[in-house]
Amino acid sequence: MPQFFSNKRLIFLLVGMIFLVALISFSLRDRNHASLPEQVIKDVVGFGQSMFSKPTQYITGAFDNVESLLNTYEENKRLKVRLEDYVTLQASVNDLRLENDELRKIVDKKEDLRAYNPIQSTVIARNPDQWEEKIIIDKGEIHGVLVNMAVMTSQGLIGKVTLTTPYTSTVELLSTQNPNYRVSAVIAEGQEVFGLIEGYDEKRKELILKRIDSEYEVKVGQKVTTSGLGGIFPKGILIGEVTEVTTDDYGLTKLAYIKPAASFSILDHVIISKRTITSVDGTDGENTEADLTEGVGDGS
Amino acid sequence: MMRFLVIAISVLLFYLEPIFGLFSPIELNNDFYVLVPRFLIIYLVFVAIYYDRKRAMLYGLFFGLLYDVFFIDIIGLYSFIYPLICLVASFIVKYIYQHLVVSTILALFLVAGVELLLFLFYTTIGLKTMTFTYFYQHNLIPTMLANAVFLFMFGWAFKYILLNRFNQKALLLQK
Repeated sequence: MPQFFSNKRLIFLLVGMIFLVALISFSLRDRNHASLPEQVIKDVVGFGQSMFSKPTQYITGAFDNVESLLNTYEENKRLKVRLEDYVTLQASVNDLRLENDELRKIVDKKEDLRAYNPIQSTVIARNPDQWEEKIIIDKGEIHGVLVNMAVMTSQGLIGKVTLTTPYTSTVELLSTQNPNYRVSAVIAEGQEVFGLIEGYDEKRKELILKRIDSEYEVKVGQKVTTSGLGGIFPKGILIGEVTEVTTDDYGLTKLAYIKPAASFSILDHVIISKRTITSVDGTDGENTEADLTEGVGDGS
Repeated sequence: MMRFLVIAISVLLFYLEPIFGLFSPIELNNDFYVLVPRFLIIYLVFVAIYYDRKRAMLYGLFFGLLYDVFFIDIIGLYSFIYPLICLVASFIVKYIYQHLVVSTILALFLVAGVELLLFLFYTTIGLKTMTFTYFYQHNLIPTMLANAVFLFMFGWAFKYILLNRFNQKALLLQK
């Protein structure tokens, strides 16, 4: 191919390559903010995408309905068994709620880490190349979505918002390999044991809960929820169940593997939780990426 | 009518990709297999082979840019890979026989090329840690199988439409 590498083309190719590398490194540096042209493109493409994905979801929904109709008998049998437990559980929950309200009134505490306003939204696309675990939803800044809000399904926590434009937002799932992705979690059975969800084991398909104080005992099968102490997530969203407990690399703290309660594979409707209590930028946010050594000597 | 069909199909495929992406990864025997729909680049390879190389590269640049901005927030990745693949396709096709089966196989290999380039990119910059064998077993092979099914279903239609458009244009030029 001697005619291909003529001088003019070669120069064009080289300039193109340099421009490209510059562009990639420029956009890699600041991926959590979308500039105005990017926002416009995202909103326009997102609008078109929801035109396509909503009818599809309608059709797949119809298939699901047929499937659940076929399973009705089996399901009914199982549910009947559970129904009796449910009534007693409901009674005790009501009782506890009432008591909680009364106690709150006595101490005059109105705010609650658990309270949040749900924003219902539809998944319009999943990053099709799947190198990163991201989904795009059809609610954005206009609907009150902000970066770092918790995103969940009816089964449990699935991820958090990483980027917003006026009409769409991007959600990074818990199954990401991003090292800066942390969620403050708690195992609350008997005693409260705190830890941080850091990382995802690709082989086991399980989350890793790190930095658990080794004084506390963690058992297999215990439920893990968000602690609300990370600053942005509300308290009490189910994350998953402990499957294995070991010590970490240095033997100082414990480490637990968590089987996620929500499935990450087929997602269509998700809920964004907008916490009612004031948010601060803690471990749930980007604070962990900040340079903490800065200004260390100021106090002394 | 034929004129707008070429671009209309690419828009349609661009929007269909993420919808099919919603069904992946699939679980088989407790193992997850990633199927990446690569409908658009397959179509663009066909455009490069049967219709017009320059146009294929232009579409590649445009849709690659949209893909970059909308899905992955790294500008310049797909907007480079798509035109590159179209260019490679048009060069290879000069040396081979333009039969449907040959172009199908060529398109499949180019899809594998795209996946390989992305694997190299993501492991190099450290966004993903994955061994090559894992990638080969869980991403590359399932992706190629899924796209092969798509190609066998629609390859002939693409060829038919694009050749028609090519002939139409050639007739217009003759006049």
